Amino acid sequence: MITISTLVLAAATALSAAQTGEAELTVSVTGIQQAGGQLVVGLYASGEDWDAGSAAAGQYVPVEGDSVSFTFADLPAGTYGIKLYHDVDGDGDMDTNLMGIPTEPFGFSNNARGRFGPASWDDAVFTVEPGSNAHALDLR
Amino acid sequence: MQTSRREMLSILAAAGGAAGLSGPAFGLLSTDPVLAAFEATAANDPWTLGMADAPAEGRDAVAERLQGGLPSGLSGVLHRNGPARFTRNDWRYRHWFDGDGMVHAWRLTPGEPVTHQARFVETRKWLAEEDAGRFLMPTFGSVPPDSQGMRGPDDMNAANTSVMMIDGALMALWEGGSAWELDPDTLESRGAKIWGEGLAGLPFSAHPKIDPDGTIWNFGQAPMQDALVLWHIGADGQLRRADMVGDVPGGMIHDFAVTDRSLVFLVGNLMWDRARLPYLDSFIWDDSRAMRVVAIDKADWSQRRVWDLPPGFLFHIGGAWEEADGTIRVDAALSDNARFATEGARDAMRGHVRPETDSTSRMRLVTLRPGGRFEQAEFADSYAEFPQIDPRFTGLQRSFTWHVGWSDNQLQGASQLVRRDLASGETHRFDFGSDIVVEEPLFIPASDRAQEGEGWLVHTALNKRARASELHVFDARRVNDGPVGSWRLPYANPYGFHGCWRSL
Repeated sequence: MITISTLVLAAATALSAAQTGEAELTVSVTGIQQAGGQLVVGLYASGEDWDAGSAAAGQYVPVEGDSVSFTFADLPAGTYGIKLYHDVDGDGDMDTNLMGIPTEPFGFSNNARGRFGPASWDDAVFTVEPGSNAHALDLR
Repeated sequence: MQTSRREMLSILAAAGGAAGLSGPAFGLLSTDPVLAAFEATAANDPWTLGMADAPAEGRDAVAERLQGGLPSGLSGVLHRNGPARFTRNDWRYRHWFDGDGMVHAWRLTPGEPVTHQARFVETRKWLAEEDAGRFLMPTFGSVPPDSQGMRGPDDMNAANTSVMMIDGALMALWEGGSAWELDPDTLESRGAKIWGEGLAGLPFSAHPKIDPDGTIWNFGQAPMQDALVLWHIGADGQLRRADMVGDVPGGMIHDFAVTDRSLVFLVGNLMWDRARLPYLDSFIWDDSRAMRVVAIDKADWSQRRVWDLPPGFLFHIGGAWEEADGTIRVDAALSDNARFATEGARDAMRGHVRPETDSTSRMRLVTLRPGGRFEQAEFADSYAEFPQIDPRFTGLQRSFTWHVGWSDNQLQGASQLVRRDLASGETHRFDFGSDIVVEEPLFIPASDRAQEGEGWLVHTALNKRARASELHVFDARRVNDGPVGSWRLPYANPYGFHGCWRSL
């Protein structure tokens, strides 16, 4: 019922050459059901990039307990969206069942959820102001 | 949780009318119109007891014996499932099939009183919505206010359609997602059944078929992909194979049939169109095409035969068998339209039943011959639903189907129990009359060696006059004579869909 394109992190390093950061974003993720593996996180800077799966930054975050937090430093202030999944078996892929429905936990910023697919940019977008910013996601 | 309209009204009532302040003065008229319509009907029509909410904590009672008793040799548990919670936070579901599943255990033990126990299936949906005090998830036929999106089909799994025993566990079945595993003795929920890697969250439909050797076959539908998931489970309850099979049109499929060689799918004309919410609205009636029948070889899922029948719709199949030349005979409760699914089951949530949207299914015997030829014979004597067979004859040539029946001018459910001889069309029939709404009868063989049809029928019913649920046992060969034993609960359960029998 839900098909979600695998998070594309190819552009993860593209931002490093961009303008120097004026903002920092700390993301905390709670509700992790199973320790182990890693969170695969993509940060998107526009609706077009969101739909195209073209991330402005990305991180792999090891999972040890039921929550993690991580930081994106040196970001331009602006609007962003986050896609992430818990790569429980650490194989680098978002596992799916025979019908293509994800079988590893996933989430979006604002805890947005999709209907028959990934959450929309409009539901997931949030603002990063100059200075320090915090955003919380719950994977439950 | 905010104060509900009902609580507010009770506070006002307790305040003695609060100096002429009525509900409307607090803006309490802005109630859900479907709930308001249902409550208005429920005030004077006891049929609506079957569409009302069961208590969240479940139910436990000893049944009162009305007449007769348990036949010698009949000992076991009738498990049933059905939607039993329709309203939260003063908002009522729009479709009968949306309600959360409640699993029942009617325990029939020789020399002891008949007892009843029921518990809601603690799906993720149920637990989250109990916690929130409101509906959170879109369902089959409803989009509650401020509902959330979904991470997968099991987020909206209501586990409300049927039950079966697999390897000592009781499974609450739905159509669009995982089976939900329960303890058969306590009815406590254990969680979604995951059959293996890559199989989590796949649809495991509500009408699995069990071959005489115990092999279990089931399917799940991916209508937007014109595909099915097929499930093959051994008699030991272990998965043998699960895989996708394509090129099966995305007309809504609720039930299927097996023969000794084939898995048989009748694809009705309520066709997948495009993804919409509620999910039911993703399907539209399309009688510009045939009702496709697909028979897939049990041993080689790439091998199939197809037939194109006139347009139609069905929920339930009696059974099927296959002859030496490949001819398949299958009987089903078929109708010429899907108006009950798309409209009648919505009307029911308002407490209304209209002739133009009520179910009009009749039993038909369809003969599928080699080369795509076919014949259909309709049994026109009464409307029919919930067909059942002697389970020992699943996939094999047989004579009888038992089903509920109702006459052409009758609304609000079935009042008859019918045994039908497929060859002659001859029926045995018992009509309980207008006070009783009859639910699915299960056939239980008298013994392993008994002839086909030698055994009992066990079914539940709502007695509208007594405002209570009942259980009746028939001698399956003497349906005309009426029940040989009848029991009544001190309460009315919501109407259920399907059950299974667990011999003890």
